[in-house]
Formats: sequence, C-alpha cells, structure tokens
Amino acid sequence: MENLSTLAVKSISKSFKGLKAVNDVSFHLKTGEILGLIGPNGSGKTTTINMVTGMLPKDSGHIEIDGQDISDVPAYKVPVYGLVRTYQKIRLFKNLSNLENVMIGAVGVGIKRREAAVLAASLLTELGLGDRINEPAQGLTFRDQRLVELARALAAKPKFVMLDEPAAGLNELETDELFALLKELPAKKNIGMLIVEHDMRLIMSLCHRLHVLNYGRTIAEGLPDDVRKDPEVITAYLGSAAS
Amino acid sequence: MKTKKNTISATPNVTGSFSSFDFAGKWSTPLFLIVIYVVIGFFIWWLNIPFIEDIFTSSTINLIMVLGFQMYMGNSGILNWSYVGYAGIGAFFSAIFSMDPMLKSMQIPTMYPFLVKLHLPFILALFAGALIATLVAALIAWPLMRLSDSVGAITQFALLIVINVVLSQWSQVTNGPRTFTLGGSRKTTYELVMAVAVLVIIAVFMFKESSLGLKLRATRDDRYAARSSGINFIAVRYVGYVASAFIAGFAGGLYSHYILSITAASFYLSQLFVVLSMLVIGGSMSVSGAFFGTLVVTLARQGLSQVELGLTRSGFEAYGMTEIVVAILMIIFLIWRPNGLTGGRELTLNSFKRLIGKKKLKPTGNRKKMEEII
Repeated sequence: MENLSTLAVKSISKSFKGLKAVNDVSFHLKTGEILGLIGPNGSGKTTTINMVTGMLPKDSGHIEIDGQDISDVPAYKVPVYGLVRTYQKIRLFKNLSNLENVMIGAVGVGIKRREAAVLAASLLTELGLGDRINEPAQGLTFRDQRLVELARALAAKPKFVMLDEPAAGLNELETDELFALLKELPAKKNIGMLIVEHDMRLIMSLCHRLHVLNYGRTIAEGLPDDVRKDPEVITAYLGSAAS
Repeated sequence: MKTKKNTISATPNVTGSFSSFDFAGKWSTPLFLIVIYVVIGFFIWWLNIPFIEDIFTSSTINLIMVLGFQMYMGNSGILNWSYVGYAGIGAFFSAIFSMDPMLKSMQIPTMYPFLVKLHLPFILALFAGALIATLVAALIAWPLMRLSDSVGAITQFALLIVINVVLSQWSQVTNGPRTFTLGGSRKTTYELVMAVAVLVIIAVFMFKESSLGLKLRATRDDRYAARSSGINFIAVRYVGYVASAFIAGFAGGLYSHYILSITAASFYLSQLFVVLSMLVIGGSMSVSGAFFGTLVVTLARQGLSQVELGLTRSGFEAYGMTEIVVAILMIIFLIWRPNGLTGGRELTLNSFKRLIGKKKLKPTGNRKKMEEII
C-alpha cells in the first residue's frame, strides 16, 4: 500500500470587520480522495482555502498534516509540507516559459533546477502540452493556462492539492475533459484533492465526499448522495438561485 | 490554420527525449554576446586609435554596470534607483584601498588615519571596494525588500539620495564635495575591462538561469503565485539586490581607476540616466537587452555628440541635445515597445535561425535593425 497522509483542518474561523466569513469550519482530507467544498457565493470557500494554505492569517483554529501542526507556517513554506493550491483567477508567471512556470513549482520546494526541468517537462507532456514547453505562458489559451497552473501545483510533488474553481472560464467540453483528468489524479499521484466548484452536476460525479458551507458555517458533509438530499443544502441552493 | 486541439489526457501522448541543457534555445546566448563583444573589442584594438579605445573602455564599464543593473531590476521588476550609489561606494573605497598611503595623505589631508594606512594591490582593492558596497547593501536592504511597485521605486530613489549626500559630505572618506584625485597612472586597462565584461556576462546569465534567478523572475510576474509556490519573495529579492550591488561596486572601482578623479556627482542622476536608458531601450528582462541596449545607446550617444559638436562649431549652440534625444528615445520605447529592442527575449541560436528563415537577413540582421532605429 502507498503511504496514506491526512490533512486535518480543525475549527478555523475568520472575521472581516466583525463579519464572520468562516465560522468554526473543520474537515479532513486523505491522500487518494476528492473532497468537494461547495456552497453559494460568499459562503467562505475561497477564504477557507486561503487560510488553510497560509495565505490569509486565521483568527483561530489549527491545520495539521499527519499530526504535524502547520498553523503558523508562513505561506511560502506550506508547499514544503506537501500542500499546494491553484487560483480561481489564473496566476501564471506570464513572462516565463511554460517549462519555467512548472519548474517553479518544483524549485519552490527545494528540488534542484535540472531535476525540476525534467519533472516539469514530463508533467507538461503528460497534460498534452509537450510540444509547447518553451513557449511563453501568456500565449496560451485559457484552457492550457489552467493546465499549466495544475502542472505547476503537481510539480511540487504534493500530498494535497486545493483547486479553487478549476473550471471557471472553461466551456462545457473543456470542463468535462478537465474533470475526467482530475478524476484520475488522486489515485495516480497519491494526492488528496480539494475542489471548490459551483457546477453541482460535475461535483456530484467527481467527488467522493462533500463539504457544504453557507454564510461561513458548515451546513452539511458526507457522501454526495446524502448531501444532495439534505434539506438545509436544498434551501441554501434554492435560496441563492431564487434571489 | 490552427493546430489540432490536443485533448487533455492523463497518459503521455508526446514521447520525446527532454534534455535540460538546451544550447540552441538558451545557453547559446552568453556565447553569442561574448563573441559579438570580443569581435568588437579586437576590431577596435586592431584599429589602434586611442580616442576610440577610450570610448570602448568607458563604454565597457557602462556595460558592466548595465549588466549588474539588469541582474536585479530585470529579474525582480523593481526599479532599483540606488544602484549607481553602490557604484559610487565601490569607486571611492577601491580607490582608498589601492592608493599609496603617502599619496593619500597628500591628496586628501582630511582622511581618517586608519583609512590612510590601508593599502592593497589594485585587483584586491577592486574586490575590497565591491565588498564594501555589498556590505552596505546587505545591511540596509532587508526592510526595503518587501516594498514593490511605485513604493519600492520611491524608497530606492530616496536611498540613492542618502548615499549621494553621504558620499558628497563625508570629507574624512571621500574628500567631501571636493574632487577625489587618485593620482598615478591609469590602472583600468583595455584588457582588464574586456576580461571583466566577459565574466560578468557569464555571471549575470548564470544568475538569471539559476534557481534563485528563476524564483526572482517568478516574483516579478506574480508575487502571490510565487508565494504559494514556495518562494519567500523577500529573501530572493534580498540576495539578488545584494549581488547586484557587488557588480555595481566592482564597476565603480574600474571607473575610478580609469577616470582617476571622481566626485559623488559621478554616481548620481546623470549616470543613473545613462544605465537606465541603456537597459530600458535594450529591454530590461533579458541579458541580451542589457547588452544591445548598451551597444545601441553608446553608438547613439557618440553619434549625437559629434553632431552636437559640429552644430556648436558652426555657431548653433546645441549642448545637451544628446541627453534630450536619448530621453525622447526612451519615452518612445516605453510607449511603443516597453520591453525594449529585444522584447525581453534572449538572443539564441534558435532566434537567429528564425530571423534568417523569416527575413533572409544576414546574421548581423539584429544590429542592422537596431541601427535603423537610431
């Protein structure tokens, strides 16, 4: 068996000027599984990711990887512990080549430059961008930029990846392709994946478990089929759709 | 026609061998720059006209300065105004280290006695002067490194003013506002500057391609993404900044041992304008940009100063025209080609091939193109 790691998020909270953006949220994620973090707009999903990855200081709570507390680790050291993320709004290094973009992911966690280049090239090839490794990142289509960002995250050889709306800006066909790819990743790379997504159809088919937020609080968690039937979830989604 | 869309799949669909040492696409750049530089150098040596040799030597000192300037500013994206201040520190201290104590006590009677006693061979004095500049940078830079964009530029500018005022007022070290005369013969020779320039081209290129340089370039493009990729942007900026201060200090030392009499004003706004215009016109994001920017602006300045001289002789006072034209050129570039002549790219074997393939130009095509712009 491959090593199993656990990311545990323990009752984290964040207020912005008195407004509780995230209120006492806890969840855990194991390598090999896909957890969907869902909820209406403004429910605190991105804030949660920002806090877990150290980008945003939290008011209270703990984050542990295999029992090791990483709550106070600065954001730039979090990838070293095996936790990386992508952004809803793509953040690539636009003046660097695709290869260099992906290399950064590896170099950032201390992998040597040469080894990083080989790893980056193989990841880009794996994602179907093998023929454009030396092109500048800003010349890519939106879809390919998403893939480069994903490759950059994977280059850190992470245990856990947090994807913030990976399908934002993609058309339906591209989204289906991306999700087919994502479905295979956890088992193949032995990573735990957390996905923030709006599209319920996709999230239901992709995720092993779901965690639902509304107004910063956890309103439901569990298997997709159970969550789907949860009355509070139905209200939250219908309510937001109706407004 | 667009290329066929490749479908996303988790299985490799391109099986090609990948080598991390990409000569044609990357590592041919320093070789090209050095060959072009050395060819120009030998040609001028062969011409054997002292006036032109002098221009070559002083331009090479500028080249070294611009390369060091590119090393931090180009890779970090932060306007580093204080840079020429470090050249000044290196210039004064290398002179203090290299001068004979007797001569020092005569030329600069106000100098601290312990500084008068110091004496090192010339080459060591250059290194010592550069190390002092590096040390000063290392001591003051850390708190400035978290500042980006316009705030970063303004603090760097303020720092330049501080360095300039200290250099121009500290009579016991720099002879204050009076000229600091080194005396003796010119120690910065044609051969020396050529050797240093070749080494600096290699060093700056290696820096850019190193892990550190790559990280610094990542922070330039997106600080947040760099942070979440494991990069401490303050630390990588700090190392880049301090390293570039070393090159500035070394270039400053070469300058003072070439000119033989310096003041703090030699390392202030007019020199900053020279290196900045060279880097901006060449393209700050690449080493090739620093190189060709220096080449083009040097040629332009020399040409313009001849015109200036001719006009003035024929009764039309045109002093300052050179600066104005170069400044306008810089503005034009910033508007229409903000990444400079090179567009932020490096000159590589591949780019040569592309150039020849597309336009059927001779290998000198790049320089011809630049000359048209002048």
